[in-house]
Amino acid sequence: MLIQIAWRNVWRNKTRSMVIVVAVALGLWGGIFSDAFMQGMTEQQIYSSIHTETGHIQLSQKGFLVNHDMQLNIRSADSIKAVISNIPGVSAVASVTQLSSMASTSSGSAGIMINGIDPQQQSKVSDINRQLVTGDYFKSDRANLIVIGQQLADKLHVKLHSRIVLTLQTTAGDIVYGAFKIAGIFHTHDSDFDKQMVFVRKNDLHALTGFPQDAASLVTVLLQNTDDTKKITATIQHKFPGLQVQGWMQLSPMLQVLSGTITQMTIIFVAIILIALAFGIVNTMLMAVLDRTHEIGMLLSIGMRPSKVFTMIMLETIFLSVTGAALGIAISIGTVSWFGHTGINLSFIAEGINALGYSSIVYPSLGIDFYLALSVMVVVIALIAGLFPARHAIRLKPAEALRGN
Amino acid sequence: MPVIEIKELTKTYNETVVPVHALNGVNLSFEKGEFTAIVGPSGCGKTTLLNMMGGLDHPSSGQVIIAQEDITKMDTSHLVDFRLRNIGFIFQSYNLIPVLTVRENIQFIMELQGRSKKEIDERVHYLLDAMGLSDKINVRPKYLSGGQQQRVAVARAMASKPKFILADEPTANLDSKSTETLLNLMANLNEKEEVTFIFSTHDQRVMDKAKRIVTLEDGKVMNDSNSGVLHETA
Ligand SMILES: Nc1ncnc2c1ncn2[C@@H]1O[C@H](COP(=O)(O)OP(=O)(O)O)[C@@H](O)[C@H]1O
Ligand SMILES: [Mg+2]
Repeated sequence: MLIQIAWRNVWRNKTRSMVIVVAVALGLWGGIFSDAFMQGMTEQQIYSSIHTETGHIQLSQKGFLVNHDMQLNIRSADSIKAVISNIPGVSAVASVTQLSSMASTSSGSAGIMINGIDPQQQSKVSDINRQLVTGDYFKSDRANLIVIGQQLADKLHVKLHSRIVLTLQTTAGDIVYGAFKIAGIFHTHDSDFDKQMVFVRKNDLHALTGFPQDAASLVTVLLQNTDDTKKITATIQHKFPGLQVQGWMQLSPMLQVLSGTITQMTIIFVAIILIALAFGIVNTMLMAVLDRTHEIGMLLSIGMRPSKVFTMIMLETIFLSVTGAALGIAISIGTVSWFGHTGINLSFIAEGINALGYSSIVYPSLGIDFYLALSVMVVVIALIAGLFPARHAIRLKPAEALRGN
Repeated sequence: MPVIEIKELTKTYNETVVPVHALNGVNLSFEKGEFTAIVGPSGCGKTTLLNMMGGLDHPSSGQVIIAQEDITKMDTSHLVDFRLRNIGFIFQSYNLIPVLTVRENIQFIMELQGRSKKEIDERVHYLLDAMGLSDKINVRPKYLSGGQQQRVAVARAMASKPKFILADEPTANLDSKSTETLLNLMANLNEKEEVTFIFSTHDQRVMDKAKRIVTLEDGKVMNDSNSGVLHETA
């Protein structure tokens, strides 16, 4: 019956209770939605980083990623690829020959990273071919074609079909030059990537530099499921103990930090909102208790124990807060999944966003565990907020409370 | 043996600069089955006396003995349970729980006592029948007249089967018709079931119904129509 009384008491002063219910609902909605937005941005960044740049897992010779020494290459790359593509959960494997180089035109030069690829293979692990703003991705069979980023094209003042000269070192240590014709220009979410990375056919690159035919600098692996990264990284490492095998978390440490801390950050953010709301809850409940001084005096008089009165006020506080929270969470789940489906287009500020490595359409998302943590926090906050009014109620002396009529 | 015995009771309020001596050595004794009015002008100490008898406040000195226990010695938490088991209360402003229906208001105190559901159900029906409120069983207090609400309050006070019922000016908010109805019901319960009622009033018509009248003045018993009892205990 105590639960019944408490619930009905919450709705005695409908306006007052609704004000706090709506405040809690809106406060949580704002907090949850912006959290979902941040989470969505991070997930997207991780997704595009994996699908455009690193893949889920990369194999390299130990030390290669530190100084890009072309001698530190992987021999028999093809047989390694064959082994890896048989591991369950692996979606595609590609090898890349990576050499640092200088690109020059009549109007300038820039340090770049050449990626020698097999276009067909590469398009299975990376979506660069779908991020072209002009031209195509090695459609023609002509030799010495190159695909570069928009930023680099701007810097070198080149257009589609322009020629650029790459300065390279052969395996023997000599300097060679190669003239390449721009077949396509891409624009990804990552401007650093667009400035540095260029793609040529592996055969052209190997012919120019004398790089061994079956060797590669990197083997890139794309998985069917991102959550398998750790497990399959270990499997591959086990098969090739001599090579360095790294998941995307090690390849892009920043992303790992982001994805690791984003949940904590969002929880803290909402916790701060909840603490602010707690003051409103305390105020409302205190008013409710003061309004009912006479009634509480009567309850104590007829023999309701102070501990029961205390419980009643605590229950009222919980009901009030949880009603607001339930409403806020319901609105949040609705809007988060709506926008999670349609996406929020930020193209009007996209330039700034892209420079930070974010894509311009954000799909807000939040995990179920976030909502669970939130529900627990709401109850905890309500318990704390209820203490003060409940304590006030049980300190009333029956005779005095009854007299103040 | 008296249901309640008061010895040399004094109460001084010290809340203001000047101490108020609300009770100055009151000696009284009440037997089972009494129907007693405590009367006197406003400020003579009626409410204070009833509060002491009901264990709602601590006296400055003296004893209030109920069922061989001096309740002035009990601490607050024991007093709550003692009140629940032994004393019924009726208040001037009815003081029902507004969010509960008539039935639930009566049920509530019995649930606090931990009575069985069956017993509670039977007693609710019995009491509401006795109070002539059977048709209002599922109605909330705000839809009842003052007289009806006070009848529910009487039913609630009876529900816990207390040793006696204290009522501080129970009719002060009622019109004369409702006052008469309520008093007749109380008198009836007193006759048939030996329910002990001790109530304060300054209404002459209410005093007329009382079997015994104790008159207070300046915190002292000025007159007791049942002075035989007074002699016994004094
Ligand atoms: N809490 C209190 N603080 C100070 N004085 C009080 C308090 N309660 C009652 N009094 C005083 O005690 C006296 C008796 O009051 P009360 O018992 O309420 O009388 P009655 O019920 O007969 O009108 C009055 O003078 C009143 O002003
Ligand atoms: Mg009074």
